[in-house]
Amino acid sequence: MGIVSAIVFIPFITAVAVVLTPAQKSRFIRWIAAFGTGFHLILSAVLTWQYWHLAGPDLEFMKSALSSKLYFVEQIPWFTSLGIQYFVGVDGISVAMIILTSIVIFTGVMASWNVEERSKEFFALLLVLVTGVFGVFVSFDLFLFFVFYELAVLPMYLLIGVWGTGPKEYSAMKLTLMLMAGSALILVGFLALYHAAGMQTFALTELAKVQYSTGFQNWVFPMIFVGFGVLGALYPFHTWSPDGHSSAPTAVSMLHAGVLMKLGGYGALRMGIYLLPEGAKFWAMFFMALTTVNILYGAFGAVMQKDLKYFTAYSSVSHCGFVLFGLVTLNLLGMKGAVIQMFSHGIMTALFFALIGMVYGRTHTRIIQEMGGLARVMPWLATSFYIAGLASLGLPGLSGFIAESHVFLGGFFGNKWHNPVGMRLLTILATMSIVVTAVYVLRGLAQVFQGPITNPEFENLTDATVSEKIGTGILVLTLAVAGLLPWYLIDLIEGSLMPFVNRLQ
Amino acid sequence: MFMLPELIIVLTAFVVLLLDLFFAEEQKKILPVLALIGVLIAMGNVIFWMPEQGVVFGGRFVFDSLGAWFKLIFLAASGATILLSWDRLVGKVSDAGSRLEHPGEFYSILLFTLSGMMFLISARDLVTLYVSLELATIPLFVLVAWKRENAFSGEAGLKYVILGILSSAVLIYGLGILYALGGSMVLEEIGKNLSPSPAFWLATALIVAGIGFKLALVPFHMWAADVYQGAPTPITAHLSVASKSAGLALMFLLFFRVLGPAVSEWNGFLAILATITMTLGNGVAIVQQNIKRFMAFSSISQAGYLIMGFIGPFPEGMPAMIFYLLAYLFTNLLVFAVIVFYANETGAEAISDYRGLSRTNPLMALAMMIGLFSLAGIPPLSGFVGKFFLFSVASKAGLHWLVAVAAVNSTVSLYYYLRIVRQMYIEPAEENAVRLPVSPVLASTVGLTLLGTVLVGILPGFYENIAQSVAAAEWWSIGR
Repeated sequence: MGIVSAIVFIPFITAVAVVLTPAQKSRFIRWIAAFGTGFHLILSAVLTWQYWHLAGPDLEFMKSALSSKLYFVEQIPWFTSLGIQYFVGVDGISVAMIILTSIVIFTGVMASWNVEERSKEFFALLLVLVTGVFGVFVSFDLFLFFVFYELAVLPMYLLIGVWGTGPKEYSAMKLTLMLMAGSALILVGFLALYHAAGMQTFALTELAKVQYSTGFQNWVFPMIFVGFGVLGALYPFHTWSPDGHSSAPTAVSMLHAGVLMKLGGYGALRMGIYLLPEGAKFWAMFFMALTTVNILYGAFGAVMQKDLKYFTAYSSVSHCGFVLFGLVTLNLLGMKGAVIQMFSHGIMTALFFALIGMVYGRTHTRIIQEMGGLARVMPWLATSFYIAGLASLGLPGLSGFIAESHVFLGGFFGNKWHNPVGMRLLTILATMSIVVTAVYVLRGLAQVFQGPITNPEFENLTDATVSEKIGTGILVLTLAVAGLLPWYLIDLIEGSLMPFVNRLQ
Repeated sequence: MFMLPELIIVLTAFVVLLLDLFFAEEQKKILPVLALIGVLIAMGNVIFWMPEQGVVFGGRFVFDSLGAWFKLIFLAASGATILLSWDRLVGKVSDAGSRLEHPGEFYSILLFTLSGMMFLISARDLVTLYVSLELATIPLFVLVAWKRENAFSGEAGLKYVILGILSSAVLIYGLGILYALGGSMVLEEIGKNLSPSPAFWLATALIVAGIGFKLALVPFHMWAADVYQGAPTPITAHLSVASKSAGLALMFLLFFRVLGPAVSEWNGFLAILATITMTLGNGVAIVQQNIKRFMAFSSISQAGYLIMGFIGPFPEGMPAMIFYLLAYLFTNLLVFAVIVFYANETGAEAISDYRGLSRTNPLMALAMMIGLFSLAGIPPLSGFVGKFFLFSVASKAGLHWLVAVAAVNSTVSLYYYLRIVRQMYIEPAEENAVRLPVSPVLASTVGLTLLGTVLVGILPGFYENIAQSVAAAEWWSIGR
């Protein structure tokens, strides 16, 4: 078993270990989960280190390459007569996403340290879900990709339905059905790609060599882009997101907003733009307009929210809009911005949801108006919250700034296939959202943390516990490192993004 | 010689019937063991002969590896039915209403219908085909009405008899016209002599209607819900798996060995039939409250997916269809095993009765959930892999809209399967709910079918072997 398979299956093995532990030993179960995900985090660091050394020398060559170069490839035949194989490997984008997921799941386990109700099933499902996520990021066979993709989506139903709050059954059902409807579109697209190629293989590397006809690309691209867009919260298919995120328990919101929504952007990039460049060019302007609505709608929606979780969920819709917006600019700068935004928003929103969970666990309310002056009693949580908020409005020095500036510059420079005036107008509109973001973030945070303590019951609340400090500390640190030393992240993904751009030419 | 598996089954049926006469009530507990041994020996025999081909009775009966796969499916489904009905027939159930009488007759009748199905797939002329079809169907009428004193069971039996006979009549009328047109009893001879004409299309329409009844395709599905609900639960399982497989075997024989010349013109028609079948089955399943009726509509929609295997140039869709049948066999029986377990202990059949099962019997709830997810087509379970291959057949034929419809239907089906998952996992248990005991027979049935549900999709061997069998089977060239 190579390192990439280990990356995929260690969470699964941990899940099995959790299942085999008697349910009474809930402390022990937590430790297994923490140990498994902690080990995974180390393994991801090792993978990144090794990738760095292998891929560094190839950077020059990638500038003109037409196909992604993969590292740590493992290929095992599966259903040979149909050309299905177990085909995993990584490129720079995958590595960045693996680091993100490793960090979020580890901190997610830290944030769920207090889950008492059926903790065994909770951790097992969480780990199965994350197995699917890792699988998606490393799969280069369309069948395998789809298997992992659905595996990542379905446990959400139970995680929200059983451990959620509020209208949890409604939210869980809505989320599951909308995402599955999205994957129905993806399935149509994948099968069409397979049969149109006529090569009896589902391997992405082989299908990339095929020149699909323009007419074919023009109808398959929107299928795949919208199919993944549902998970990436593309307007108007984002409606599952606010309900789902606000009903989900803390670790699930973190994982869902932080990582799962990135599967949408990742799939749209890897499958849509990579395999169907002509289709991407044909539809780019349309989707750019749609994602501009996304960004603005999410931002204005967040202004109106009274509940902290809804507030963050709408802000996620807006920020995930940046990811899709960056992708359809179809130039290197924009796509780079999109991938950095996936990483940055993943960490940022995980931090947000973790903190909301911690505050809610103390105050037992999420209504912004009912809170006030909490910074006095919980300085650690307040500081972390501010850092997350500032990253979210794009303050230089934190990762959000790097991502958003790339996306906006990409949109402003445009590409040679589309009307530059239109692209610039859309970009300017999208940029407006930064102002709106500043309004809602600063106003919300001020209400919750500043001023005198409004409710006498809040006087006795405590600050973060050790496990909470570890979780939030790692996330804050990542935000700062990605913001202050962004070139590491950029170097990691830039070489792998070149082929995407070259194929469009 | 190549008829040995069928003969073993018939012999076992007679042995069981005779021993039933001489056994005391206490000794009758050994009858299911005998029946099961017979099925297992026949299964071993079929597997042993699998790669070979053999002709008996001057070509009226043919053993080939493709037919062998069908026979294995029939045998496995009937074996599972024996296991499912075991506790009910030997009186080891808590719920008095679930008890079944007369084990000897029950098992011998079950084995007779099994032998009919096995003869059916090997039949190569009209008379053998029709006689084995009736041998497979008529015993089922009796089994459905096994609980005579129960009004639902009696009504189900009556409905099934009338509609079953009607559909057989329609079918035999179609076969009669084919005989007149083709001038022969041998299937492939008829096929060679046929050319599209009004009489030919009339025959085709009659045959499709006849098969539609057997498979419960919309609009010939009306009987399914009442019969499924009224029949004893193990027999419902048998109807939904074994009987459906036999219907597909019949469709397979008639479509590809007889009606071949027009095969390419059917794509659109079959696609529409598949669409309305799966859509209506799914749509009606959403509002069901009784779990057996619910499974009836679920299996109607599954038949809609299955006939997608007949689309496209022959025999490309066959491996996918047989593979899905195999996956469906394990999956559906897994779900029914849990339903039987729950009904044995509590007699409950309403979906809302399953509330809190995950707290009282977590393993059974988990098995049920895996079965339901496989039916809905969630990876990496076998139901997903099978559906993926079937959808691929439609996609290859260029029917992308059908793939979209089928995939959206899977999403809809997920909604109603999740209704049960919700009852089991999200709803709290009743105040006084206790852990229900699981009998060893049912526990092993659940274990075996669960293993099948998971492994068939992951191990590539099953699909590859089926694909090879299809490629190796002898076809006279039609529609290629």
